[in-house]
Amino acid sequence: MRFYLQKLIFYVVALWAALTLNFFLPRWMPGNPVDILISKLSAKGPVTESTRHALELLLGTNSDQPLLLQYLSYFGSVFRGDLGVSVTYFPANVTNIIGEALPWTIGLIGVATIISFVVGIGLGQLAGWKRGSWLDNVIPVTTMFQAVPYFWLALVLLFLLASKVQMFPLSGGYDVYSVQPGMSWDFISSVFYHGALPALTIVLSSIGGWMMGMRNMMVSTLSEDYIVTAEAKGLHPRRIMTSYAARNAVLPSLSGFAISLGFVVSGSIVTEMVFSYPGIGSALLTAVQSNDYALMQGIFLVITISVLGANLLVDLLYALIDPRTRVRA
Amino acid sequence: MSHLKKRKLAMSVVAVAAASLLALSGCGSDTGSSKNSAGGGDSAITVFNGATGAISENWNPFSPTMLQPTQGVIYEPLFYYNLAAASDPQPILATAYSWNDAGTELTITNREGVKWSDGQPLTAKDVAYTFNLIHENPALNTSGLNATAKATDDKTTVLTFEKSSFMQEPQILGNQAIIPEHIWSKVTDPTTTINANPVGTGAYKVKSFNAQSYVLEKNPNYWEAGKPEIDNVQYISLATADAASAALVAGKVDWMSSFLPNLKQMIGTQKNLSYVNTPAMTTSLFSCSNAALGCKGAQTDVAVRQAIFNAMDRTQLNKLAAGDFAAAASPTLLLPERDKKWIANPDDVEISQSADVAKATGILEDAGYAKGSDGIYAKDGQRVSVTVQVVAGWSDYISAVQVLTSQLKEAGIELKSVQLSYNEWSSNQTKGTFELTLDSIGLGASDNPYYTYQPRFNSSTTAKVGQDASTGGNYARYQNKTVDAELAKAASTEDAEAQKASYAVIQKEIVRDLPYIPMYVNSTLTEFNTDRATGWPTNDDKYAFAASWKSWDNGIVLKSLTPAKK
Repeated sequence: MRFYLQKLIFYVVALWAALTLNFFLPRWMPGNPVDILISKLSAKGPVTESTRHALELLLGTNSDQPLLLQYLSYFGSVFRGDLGVSVTYFPANVTNIIGEALPWTIGLIGVATIISFVVGIGLGQLAGWKRGSWLDNVIPVTTMFQAVPYFWLALVLLFLLASKVQMFPLSGGYDVYSVQPGMSWDFISSVFYHGALPALTIVLSSIGGWMMGMRNMMVSTLSEDYIVTAEAKGLHPRRIMTSYAARNAVLPSLSGFAISLGFVVSGSIVTEMVFSYPGIGSALLTAVQSNDYALMQGIFLVITISVLGANLLVDLLYALIDPRTRVRA
Repeated sequence: MSHLKKRKLAMSVVAVAAASLLALSGCGSDTGSSKNSAGGGDSAITVFNGATGAISENWNPFSPTMLQPTQGVIYEPLFYYNLAAASDPQPILATAYSWNDAGTELTITNREGVKWSDGQPLTAKDVAYTFNLIHENPALNTSGLNATAKATDDKTTVLTFEKSSFMQEPQILGNQAIIPEHIWSKVTDPTTTINANPVGTGAYKVKSFNAQSYVLEKNPNYWEAGKPEIDNVQYISLATADAASAALVAGKVDWMSSFLPNLKQMIGTQKNLSYVNTPAMTTSLFSCSNAALGCKGAQTDVAVRQAIFNAMDRTQLNKLAAGDFAAAASPTLLLPERDKKWIANPDDVEISQSADVAKATGILEDAGYAKGSDGIYAKDGQRVSVTVQVVAGWSDYISAVQVLTSQLKEAGIELKSVQLSYNEWSSNQTKGTFELTLDSIGLGASDNPYYTYQPRFNSSTTAKVGQDASTGGNYARYQNKTVDAELAKAASTEDAEAQKASYAVIQKEIVRDLPYIPMYVNSTLTEFNTDRATGWPTNDDKYAFAASWKSWDNGIVLKSLTPAKK
């Protein structure tokens, strides 16, 4: 119990620190959302000298409140779930914008990360168990995919599989021309069809690390005494591989998995740009380009919470599968 | 035991995966308010207006972030100003207007028989309500309107201004959506409403909306008999220009405006595609020209600016940077094709397209510069070396600067360039912290040169270096008393001939001083697919500014289209 309490306190402090940074960082940034909005408007039609005044009134950017008061009210509104109003999508709430973008990102990047982890760990386990088999030759290939820059791999696959061979669609989260979003088979199949190629690129580019890490841990675990004991007792080889070797070998990879789960939300910008995929990455890019403080803060908050949440989850899981961590050293 | 636990872990991983998939597929269900798909009607077209990323619903015609078809397609102005060709304002919701002599009273007669999309008639009360609402809410007043409106009868509205306000005319008549009083008087906060289910007089009304696209359908109550003919118009969001051009080639998008360098080849191979080029914005080197306001650098000397102006080989620039689609600019910064009648000196209608290096070097030598050993002119130990700021990623501007660097080198001028993010570039421009910056002169409210000259050259719209110049304003920090006086004179009359005389004086000053050094009038390319609809603007008949991102004009184009014959 004490273990869980300590963990909890740690996470609360970390959350407070992150929220505080979140508040101050955008305020230290140079620039002004009204200027950006005006220069965008002026590209499309006439703007007059009064435009600035009207926009400042409208967006409420002329805040004379002391910083400390703003800070306190920011905390208050965050806990009420109110992340403010976006300038880019005025008068839409940041919460709504994130709510619309998040399922796409979690769906695509999250699923791809999990597939990559599960497949990578599985293959790594087999490769470590049967050293010298053909699986060992697969590892250099997968690490090569990991070594090439992700955007390049994605662009090449996009060019080959979507433009040349036209197996996959070029862009988007679903077919915007003929499908309406909703709980219909048309929409769901369209989402899967459009998500397949981006997911494939993510799996390809990240599976190598899982495989290699797992294989090497397997190899060193297999030389442990308890494996020899298990073999001497005449246990079934599959049981030795899964329950004795793999269970111990997977531990370092699990913490890596936690970190990558946390980055599901933030690490999606390049994927979403290459595949024109709707999601948090595209929203963040828009926010930065328009100096949209509220939206940036909101997205950073989501990223922070997801990283912390993923770490907490793994901490708890770790305690479950590795009883040693529960005991104080 | 351990077997069981391992399986539990595997199960939980699968469960997480399944849950995320569910979350993904469920995401659309709350946004899908649609009844039919886009192709539900008899005729439908798809428009890409430059929207990228998620679209946020906002049909509030006062909001800076409204969806673009709000102006012109759903709500209409009193008059339509066509900025693509020389033309008089065309009556839309009003049929006539007149000023009193002092310019303090504007009387508007509105069209009879116009109905809102909910069936109620439009009256002068709606017109008066619109302008009074703006006047009472400073946050809505983006045009600086200072007038109170009164409906004297069902079809007459009188706007009363505090002082002579002739120059507010295009803003009031052509750039303000008229809204229904019976709907908006019930809106609690007109500044923050997103105005879902807008009731307008326009040719279309909203049919369905989601974050990636929205569909407009024909307004059966539209006042112009028989129009519009296209039943449904879908607007979509695409992430990149590449995605847009792929969609155009695939026949998925009917109307878009993107600069496609290989456009001519594309049109050549696909008979159903066509394009129109409406050059409108003069790409110019903006110079921080005024040392008195704190500008630094060689470009503060008018001789250097004149030398740059003459050393440009604009034919080459057009070919290498603008895809050969740009049109010749005028040193008066007006549009040679559209504004010929406003340009006093016939020599100033179009700039010579080839470089005159001898003239450029002659100007520098007359001003006391001497060529140094490195081939660059210098005076008092100061080399003629200027830095131009460009936005990173604006590839046509970047190549223009590269071409210009070698052209200016031949005239003994060193041009360096620095690429900045849009935000920084834009902030530098307003603050005056640049030597040269590559930008374009935007469209004014009407074709009257006042809307080009007043913001760009009046000393009231500038500020010291380090302070913000006013919106869309005098970034060159130009100050000239003659220009200020003539602008004030032009604003005080409705008489075009008197205005022309003022503009002639202004043009003489600015053609000599060149605070903005024009390069060419950049193309605005708009691509169409004629498979589903015809009647698009053409290079010979620019009945509207064709760009798919242009407010107001969108409504004119959409109601002029007819379904293609099969």
